[in-house]
Amino acid sequence: MKGLISGIKRMEIHDGDGLRTTVFFKGCPLKCIWCHNPESISTKKQVAFFKNKCIGCNICGGKKTEETAQKCPSDAIVLYGTEYEEKELCEVLIKDKLFFEKSGGGVTLSGGECLMQGEFAVNLAKELYKKGISVYIDTCGFVKQDIFKKIIPYTDKFLYDIKAINPDVHKKYTGCDNKIILENLKFLLENNCNIEIRYPLVTNYNDKECKHIGKFLKDLKGISKVKVLKYHPFAASRYDALNMECTMPDTETTNSDVENAVQTLKKYGLNAVNGAVED
Amino acid sequence: MPLNREALEKYAFERIDFEDEYDVLKTDCDIIEFLLDNCEITLEKENYFFVNVNCKNVLNKVYMTRFKKYSLDRFDKSLMPGREVFAYTGYADLGHTNVKWEDVISLGIYGLKNRIISYSEKYSTDDKKQRFYSNTLRVYEAALRFIKRASKKAYECGKNEMAINLEFLSENSPSTLYQAMQTSIIYYTLQQLFEGTHLRTLGRLDTIFYPFYDKTKKEETYKLLKEFFWEIDRFCATANIPFALGGTNTNGMSKINELSYMILDTYMNENTSNIKMHLLCSKNTEDDIIKQALGSVRLGKNSIVFMSDEKVIESLVKIKAERDDATNYHVVGCYECGADGEITCSCNARVNLPKALEYALTGGIDIVSGEKIGLDKKYELTSFENLCLEFTHQLEYLCNCAIRSTDYYEESYKNVHAAPIMSATYTSALEKGGDLYCDYSAKYNNSSLNALGLATAVDSLCAIQKLVFEDETYSLDEFVNILKSNWDNNEPLRLLIKNKFPKFGTANKKVDKIAQNIVNVLSNLINGRPNKKGGIYRLGLFSIDWRWEFGEKLGASADGRKKGEPISQNTSATFGADKEGATSHLISVASLDTSNTPNGTIIDIDLHSSAVQGENGLNALISSLKTYFELGGFAVHYNVLDTNVLKDAKLNPEKYPNLQVRLCGWNVLFSTLSDKEKDEFIARSVR
Repeated sequence: MKGLISGIKRMEIHDGDGLRTTVFFKGCPLKCIWCHNPESISTKKQVAFFKNKCIGCNICGGKKTEETAQKCPSDAIVLYGTEYEEKELCEVLIKDKLFFEKSGGGVTLSGGECLMQGEFAVNLAKELYKKGISVYIDTCGFVKQDIFKKIIPYTDKFLYDIKAINPDVHKKYTGCDNKIILENLKFLLENNCNIEIRYPLVTNYNDKECKHIGKFLKDLKGISKVKVLKYHPFAASRYDALNMECTMPDTETTNSDVENAVQTLKKYGLNAVNGAVED
Repeated sequence: MPLNREALEKYAFERIDFEDEYDVLKTDCDIIEFLLDNCEITLEKENYFFVNVNCKNVLNKVYMTRFKKYSLDRFDKSLMPGREVFAYTGYADLGHTNVKWEDVISLGIYGLKNRIISYSEKYSTDDKKQRFYSNTLRVYEAALRFIKRASKKAYECGKNEMAINLEFLSENSPSTLYQAMQTSIIYYTLQQLFEGTHLRTLGRLDTIFYPFYDKTKKEETYKLLKEFFWEIDRFCATANIPFALGGTNTNGMSKINELSYMILDTYMNENTSNIKMHLLCSKNTEDDIIKQALGSVRLGKNSIVFMSDEKVIESLVKIKAERDDATNYHVVGCYECGADGEITCSCNARVNLPKALEYALTGGIDIVSGEKIGLDKKYELTSFENLCLEFTHQLEYLCNCAIRSTDYYEESYKNVHAAPIMSATYTSALEKGGDLYCDYSAKYNNSSLNALGLATAVDSLCAIQKLVFEDETYSLDEFVNILKSNWDNNEPLRLLIKNKFPKFGTANKKVDKIAQNIVNVLSNLINGRPNKKGGIYRLGLFSIDWRWEFGEKLGASADGRKKGEPISQNTSATFGADKEGATSHLISVASLDTSNTPNGTIIDIDLHSSAVQGENGLNALISSLKTYFELGGFAVHYNVLDTNVLKDAKLNPEKYPNLQVRLCGWNVLFSTLSDKEKDEFIARSVR
């Protein structure tokens, strides 16, 4: 079967242990206002237009299509969404196998929400697993439990996002209730999965959730790490290019905000770390 | 009474000419002896080990003048046009030397003098050898008188520690770490400033100083190392002075010792800007020293190059260096290595690879000058295979021209320069009783050719392959006309090629194969080819900053490069072409058979500081390095750049007085770069 991929990034150090290749799946069930991968929200192929790169050659004839994206000389028209078969994608992802082996790295499935294309993700993870590649799943948790069940055997670690505990706050900023997310987290822990929590900290938005997150997580057994990620409003040009309304908050999360959150979480006995320093 | 600079130069310049060609040794020994006995000695407050002198470059001017006289007069003028457009160049290289530092430091100047005497006694009946010994000996005796004079000066200036030790060294071999370091600086001064033969490494400092290291005196050792680095830094040598750490012994065991860590520590902590370091790594090199060095690189100390011991040794053995000599190699400049006992002349000849392709397309006509520089077409360019054959045909011709050009200079050494100070450190020279340059008495008297712009040439070949022979979008003639017009009215095509065509450095096997073939062709043309000194030529693939002049007179190239822009740097991908990231870049370069590049292959990896942050970032750097070497990489250099810092430093240089970047083979203060170069670094840092 085919999966739809918005991008692949190699020599990545921020998406898990060692040197990793991260594959970004298209499509996400959440609509986080601070999303920094807007090209990964829609489940469909998208053509973006970066005005500042356009040289006005008119090879595209003014049309922004999949076809003109291939021809655009200055990369002003960019296609987000490439279809891959599992084996084909696997071959691309394991190009850095030797680097994975040396560094304790591997492949991270990310997005969007990689498990939204559940069956494809499971097949891909299985394919990588067969080749001895470490697989990490970067997930928002808003996924059918059944998919988790299927992918657990091929997953070395889940990078699990927790954005808020208060359901109203969660709904307000992500558009979704978090009941399923929290239940799935418990489910994975019950199945002895290796979990690293990721808490994207957006000052003045979900920073007050910190202590609730601490309280919620402290009773759960088996969480290896809680990583606080610093928010950057860097994706505005991509929203514009995709003709999407930029919802990113115009707020700055400072290093000391991150440090404070880390200290708060530590008070709950959690192994909290600053994502910018201790990757 | 010491003489001023003018008087010293007068004495030397009166001796540019000599009676017959065999007199250069005697004449140069006269000059060096005169300089040693009469130069002015000064001492600054900062000097900790040794004095300053007023004779820097006096002999360099002498031999440059002699070169003009002895080689340029005879020079084949038909080679000039090709040199002028930088299709090739070929010169003498009286630098990039190494000495047997182990002997220099263990014997000292005094011990080296005695060794000359014992050889002289051994061969007392051989007149020709005696001539070498007696001349060399009087230079060393003058050197010892000079050290005594320096000692006296140090006393006068109240520098008693310096004075006492200098006095000791004028009559003994070094016995303490202070004296070992002092000897290193004295020797450097003698060869570099008096003899004028550029010394391009301080050697493997951890190995040569270790016998003098007292484990109970750690603090004192740190203090000495700090002073040592600053004293070396003050020489302000062109393209920095290198030193090395690590390496392996002949059993493959790592030579890292306690002192290695202390030297690296000190080097990291002191913000010197004229010293560069080579870490000689093997699979047995301790992880923690590699980690410490990469940690230092990440903090902006970019002047560390990581060399693969296995690959360097293999490449030297392949050009017939004995394994022991290859194992004890030295890095004699930026990236090029010489076996123990080898004269490398690592910067002799250069060939412009993209020019060879230009001539293949034009039938030897230079696009920019309009002159006929290359050869007539030998092959009909009806297929990509034929284009490659034609490229090789032109390349072979340019290599021949570069080598002929170099040979003119190298034949002149016997009329131009003697190196008695350096020669006395080579046992082969003592055994043969001859000077390294006048008599070619080194064990290996080699020469070099560097091929520049590999990525530019490969990307250009690939672009033509796709555009003309596969997609058939243009005929070859049409496309060549576009190149001749410097992409006039064809900006979309230029950008399409630049942004969307296959490139070297992306782990694309088809592209890498073309690069591999070029390196193999070059290796067959160059490695082992006899030079004029009884030695051979060695192939290298580094460009350093020559890539600017080599690009300046090059027409537009098929990879999307505009006329006059610099060609690709060293063995790296074209800037911006490594879109698949550093791992792919490393895979591509490691796919070249670098056991055939004894004169050096180097990849420059630019990383944004955020891509290597944290513990995982450091581990990523370490594993990328180790994987690269496992894949067969030769040497790697990392530039960790921060776009915002560089932009700010361009606007507010006063805020960043110590910000260093690696220009190509050496470090420079960012503030000293031209705006053009600063902009290039800023563009490189955006990923």
